[in-house]
Amino acid sequence: MGLGAYIAVSAALFALGIVAILVRRNILYVLMGIEMILNAANINFVAFNRFNGGGLEGRMFAIFVIILAAAEAAVALAIVLNVFHLFNSVKPAEADLLRE
Amino acid sequence: MNNAYLDGLASIAPEIVLTVTALGALVLDLVAKGRDSVRVGYLTLAGLAATAWFLFGQWGQPSHTAYGMVAIDQFGNFFKLFSTAALAIVVLFVMHDRRERRHGIGEYYFLLLGALIGIFFMVSTGNLLLMVLGFELLSLSSYSLSGFHKGNRKSAEASMKYVIFGGLSTGIMVYGISLLYGLTGTIDLAKMAGSANLVAQVSSNPIPFGIATVLVLAGFAYKISLAPFHFWTPDVYEGAPTPVTAFLAVASKAAGFGALLRFLGALFLDQGGTPLGEYGTRVGTMLALLAAVTMTLGNLAALRQPSLKRMLAYSSIAHAGYVMIGIACMTRGGFTAAMYYLAAYYFMNLGAFGFLVYFEGVTGSDTVDSLKGMGFKAPLISMVMVAFLVSLTGLPPTVGFYGKYLLFIEGVDNGLMWLVVVAALNSVVSLFYYLRVARALFLSKASDQEAAPAPVLTGFVTVLGVATVAFGLYVTPLQAWATKSLDLIRSATGS
Repeated sequence: MGLGAYIAVSAALFALGIVAILVRRNILYVLMGIEMILNAANINFVAFNRFNGGGLEGRMFAIFVIILAAAEAAVALAIVLNVFHLFNSVKPAEADLLRE
Repeated sequence: MNNAYLDGLASIAPEIVLTVTALGALVLDLVAKGRDSVRVGYLTLAGLAATAWFLFGQWGQPSHTAYGMVAIDQFGNFFKLFSTAALAIVVLFVMHDRRERRHGIGEYYFLLLGALIGIFFMVSTGNLLLMVLGFELLSLSSYSLSGFHKGNRKSAEASMKYVIFGGLSTGIMVYGISLLYGLTGTIDLAKMAGSANLVAQVSSNPIPFGIATVLVLAGFAYKISLAPFHFWTPDVYEGAPTPVTAFLAVASKAAGFGALLRFLGALFLDQGGTPLGEYGTRVGTMLALLAAVTMTLGNLAALRQPSLKRMLAYSSIAHAGYVMIGIACMTRGGFTAAMYYLAAYYFMNLGAFGFLVYFEGVTGSDTVDSLKGMGFKAPLISMVMVAFLVSLTGLPPTVGFYGKYLLFIEGVDNGLMWLVVVAALNSVVSLFYYLRVARALFLSKASDQEAAPAPVLTGFVTVLGVATVAFGLYVTPLQAWATKSLDLIRSATGS
């Protein structure tokens, strides 16, 4: 399988992640969308590293992005839990104290 | 264990000191069982002073790279020193904010210091991996800080909006970096700029490089709240605790600009005529358009804000637009002007937030209406606030005026006359909402609210006010510093 196939998969994943963030009203799906975008980047890093050769920079980057995604999920879920306690909802649209 | 390793440790001494301080603040708060918040504050301030001492120690050192990743140079030093000073002032805000709760203060300082470590790594590396990690360390700390008042619904909502926007922009940026890596085979900006592969790609097939650049810029745009990634700014700034808002508006934003300047500087600066240089001109045009949109949106929205805090949030969006004038020039002079303006922005914006902390403590509200007549009750801090407002508008004799003057000169010199006109019109608009605050302070009938004295807070806000005016009259040192810092960036991005 060539490099093109990997890039196509990652681009599709990236697009799906963006759509999930834009369309979904539930914050948990939004967070999943963000994970999808980060994983799309990971596929790119590993695939480019495999086909372009040279060093381990790409793979290293991918490992760090996995860690980063985990840290972000932890913080985001803590925040969502706090919001759920205060608003009884995990939908951003229902928490709207701050606006014009 | 060899010498290079030990030399590297000396190079990152400021970061090590910060880490130790952060852990120390956490432990001290635990040991004191949360009853001695003042001492934790002093420990944090002492740690920041030690950090600044190490940073001054690196002052004259030639630029070098530690561990092949951390660039130690004047450019990073400029942003590090300002961020350290900004955090010290934010810590003073926290210590003197009547509304700040005392419980869990160790975590508060721990997160603030963590954010500062993120800033340090973000502005002092040409390696995109380390830049992303610093960026994310700053972001994660900021999310938690903006939601720090756990029972407060506004605070919770602010942190949720922040985490959604932040996560999205980080994801987009990392994806863009993965594409840049694919095009060049490296994640080091210096190697990337010299990559024959990249130059060939740019001249024969510029689209992928364009997409990658735009995606990476989206991440920076979020951090500096540039349109169309500014939507989170007003909500987060309003919902977050005020000292945190000051930190986000000043240190976090300047760090985003620092990393952006390094990114653009390494790839596009001083490459006129080459394919990469021509591309830089196009990126500059795009940034100029975004700058015009950003400052107009920010100023128009600020006009109709009843809340001073939210007004300052929109004003900080507008100021990001002004700074972008310098960056859109894509020249050394333009970048210097942008750095000067950021330095000016530190003084005047921190001061304005210091005033906000004071008067929220007095009135318990953040609307401009509740300010009425406060100028007679607390004359000194109100007069200083007027100086900040004059500086934010960009009128002489303040540092904000000279900063804007430099930006406009650079803009005209580099063919961005239209953008300068837009910015000048925007400054006129901003005069209305800044002076509305001054009018409420001095020209309205006094309410029967009592102004409690806060000598310490008034004291250091006054110091900031004096600096705002003094650097506006005597501009040479700050300007020389900004110029010198930028001169030393180039040599440092190479390892």
